[in-house]
Amino acid sequence: MRLPSLLGRLTVWRAVLGALLIAGLYATVIRFGQGLGAATNLSDDYPWGLWIGFDVLVGVGVAAGGFVIAATVHVFRMERYAAIARPALLTAFLGYLMVILAVLFDLGRPMRIWHPLVFWNTRSVMFLIGWCEMLYAIVLAAEFSPLLFEKLGWHKPLKVVRRMMTPLVILGVLLSVTHQSSLGSLYVIAPDKLHPLWYSPMLPVLFLISAVAAGLAMTMFESCMSSRAFGRRLEGGLVRGLGRAVVVTQAVYLVLRANDLIYRGALGYAFEATPEAVLFWGEIGLGSALPMVLLSSRRVRYSNSGLFFASTLTVMGFIVHRLNVAVTGMAGWTGVSYFPSWMEVTVTVFLVALGVACFGLAARYLPVFPKAEEEPLPESLAPRSGKPYDPDRILTRPALLGLWGMLALGAVGVLATDSISASPQAEERGAAARAGAAAPADARHPSAVAQGLEDLTLPPPFRFPASEDSPGPVVFDHADHVDPMDVRCDACHPRLFRFTTPGTPAEGVVNSDRAHDGDLCASCHDGEKAFSAYDDCMLCHQESEG
Amino acid sequence: MQPGILVDLNRCAGCGSCALACREINELPADAPDDRLSATSWTFIERRGGLSIKRQCMHCLNPACASVCPVGALRKSDEGPVVYNERLCMGCRYCMIACPFGVPRYEWDSTEPRVRKCIMCWEKRIQKGGEPACTSTCPTGALRFGEREELISEAQRRIRDKPEAYVNQVYGLHEAGGTSVLYLSPVPFATIGFPNVHKDTEYPGMTWAILDKLPAALTVGGALLAGVWWLTGRREIMEQVRSGEITMDEAMRRRPPVTGDAADEEVES
Repeated sequence: MRLPSLLGRLTVWRAVLGALLIAGLYATVIRFGQGLGAATNLSDDYPWGLWIGFDVLVGVGVAAGGFVIAATVHVFRMERYAAIARPALLTAFLGYLMVILAVLFDLGRPMRIWHPLVFWNTRSVMFLIGWCEMLYAIVLAAEFSPLLFEKLGWHKPLKVVRRMMTPLVILGVLLSVTHQSSLGSLYVIAPDKLHPLWYSPMLPVLFLISAVAAGLAMTMFESCMSSRAFGRRLEGGLVRGLGRAVVVTQAVYLVLRANDLIYRGALGYAFEATPEAVLFWGEIGLGSALPMVLLSSRRVRYSNSGLFFASTLTVMGFIVHRLNVAVTGMAGWTGVSYFPSWMEVTVTVFLVALGVACFGLAARYLPVFPKAEEEPLPESLAPRSGKPYDPDRILTRPALLGLWGMLALGAVGVLATDSISASPQAEERGAAARAGAAAPADARHPSAVAQGLEDLTLPPPFRFPASEDSPGPVVFDHADHVDPMDVRCDACHPRLFRFTTPGTPAEGVVNSDRAHDGDLCASCHDGEKAFSAYDDCMLCHQESEG
Repeated sequence: MQPGILVDLNRCAGCGSCALACREINELPADAPDDRLSATSWTFIERRGGLSIKRQCMHCLNPACASVCPVGALRKSDEGPVVYNERLCMGCRYCMIACPFGVPRYEWDSTEPRVRKCIMCWEKRIQKGGEPACTSTCPTGALRFGEREELISEAQRRIRDKPEAYVNQVYGLHEAGGTSVLYLSPVPFATIGFPNVHKDTEYPGMTWAILDKLPAALTVGGALLAGVWWLTGRREIMEQVRSGEITMDEAMRRRPPVTGDAADEEVES
């Protein structure tokens, strides 16, 4: 009964995916064929955009479920969670692969992605991140490999990997924790640039904790989605357990975040009428507090749509936080707006779609999802309306409304860079801090010129050698050519004569023809701007000695 | 030896020869913008508040850009200038995020892009014992090249001699922990677009404070995880003792059981 509708959906999806593939390939060709400038809206004021803010920061973040659940199963021995360890690991592994792809797009010289392996700066957070990314991708591959070996029936390597699992998991936790927190450490060196609502020396800790919440929520989200896509029952008990963990994590995060804002005296910024404040409350309220409150309700945890909605909110809030740090939080300082180009967006969507497709393929052909039985709903939580309980009805009206709300918030966020950069607060906080922008040429500051001219030291006179039929050598003296009240070096330099080597034209050599006719000296000595080069030889030429 | 450049905004007549000389010696295109820093314009004269303000890389004593560069493409040279090795750079652009003065620029339209900024004529002049093209070209003495310590004394002398002409601040003396490029101004620096950066704080230290904690944190974390693994394993064994499956003596000899799939496997075999 489901089959026809499934096929119908697939053809629509195929068309969308096909269009995405073509657009993605086009964007890829432009990006690598013509450079970052042609494909992106990145600029000197916005060196990092969507690819760093979303593809990397979010991509790594949602992979956090991998290490949390691996540790839960293999270190804390809560082995019932083994049932969802595999999808979590798969997400993490695919997430890391997608991040590597995204980094290849974003690096100015992608062929040099291996450079940190050879050229070391151990004092650089970016160096650390590069190593963590690579090493944890390898560890994830190893942690995930048993699925492949099981499928292929390779018992020897399977046994070896299983034996190594605990040390692997511990190594993975350490690498992942370092990686997640280091992404926050990236911004610790930019205290002036990042808006005080997001900047904090605590960023590494905040990044780690919010990533744990997002990683857990991502695993919940996947369980909900895959139970729909594959017509399976939801691993209800486990997902509820994750929901409780999200409540705790979000609570810790909120307390730390509030503490940090108060300690730094930055809380006031949250109550100003600025786009940043709106984004802040959206992120904190809808993305952290609301899902925390929702998931602490037993009724929500026992409802598939509740679990789905709350986990989606958490992931969305996480995305908004990362984009706020990477993009919108920087807008005030740079004073310039950034909105990703369609190619940046396409590449991002393309990478996400690629990840989802890989997940789908793996879930279909590898033993990713175990067979789980849904336990019956407790009597006290039976639906009030009397309608039969339908675990497949995930996209209920409140869930949809919430999603639209988050989308609207996202739209505010991306449009906000425009208004932030133009806001008076930005002017006050940041525009003054820029060395980039042009200012109109005002009247000169009274003290400026006078003092400068006291010390006016012009280069010594330069003697051009005389040619054979010349009436005598020409001595050029800056003192005769410069109005001390209006010094204009650029009248001759460097268009006609070089600055750094006296008496040398910008091109070629000095000769009689060039000096007298329309070029070099004659470009001013034409009878109009200054006396003509033919007026009186001895005005410029000196008597030959002897 | 720490070379520096003293920029006295009171003496600058705004002729722009410094920027033009920079363009010339670095072989930057003639149509490079003259109203902002860019990949082809490493210094320029900003006209602001009636003053002509030469903008360029500040050459921090402990530069953030060099500290964040994962491959060490940017570094503080032995001679003093903050220089760039384009053969190492992979284009992550973290330097642009980290620089508190917003100086590094990027060649966005190139397929082999480089980070671009003033290197104080490091190869062409400093290494040969000369002074940068900009300072050597300045006709008014607004730019002065020399030993940083001497320039600081000179700047302070100028403030002392004419206190009515200067604000009592040498910008770059304390900014970002000290910079090689120093400024004197007749008006407060904040009013003419000088960033209000942290004083007497070297930016790299902000991240190093975190990185320094990492080895200890990882050691403790690793030990903690291993400890939890051992304890939880022990608990499982003791439960077996309690249920009478094994004796205490056997329990003492047992190693913590393996977890997850491997446990199933053991049961199967």
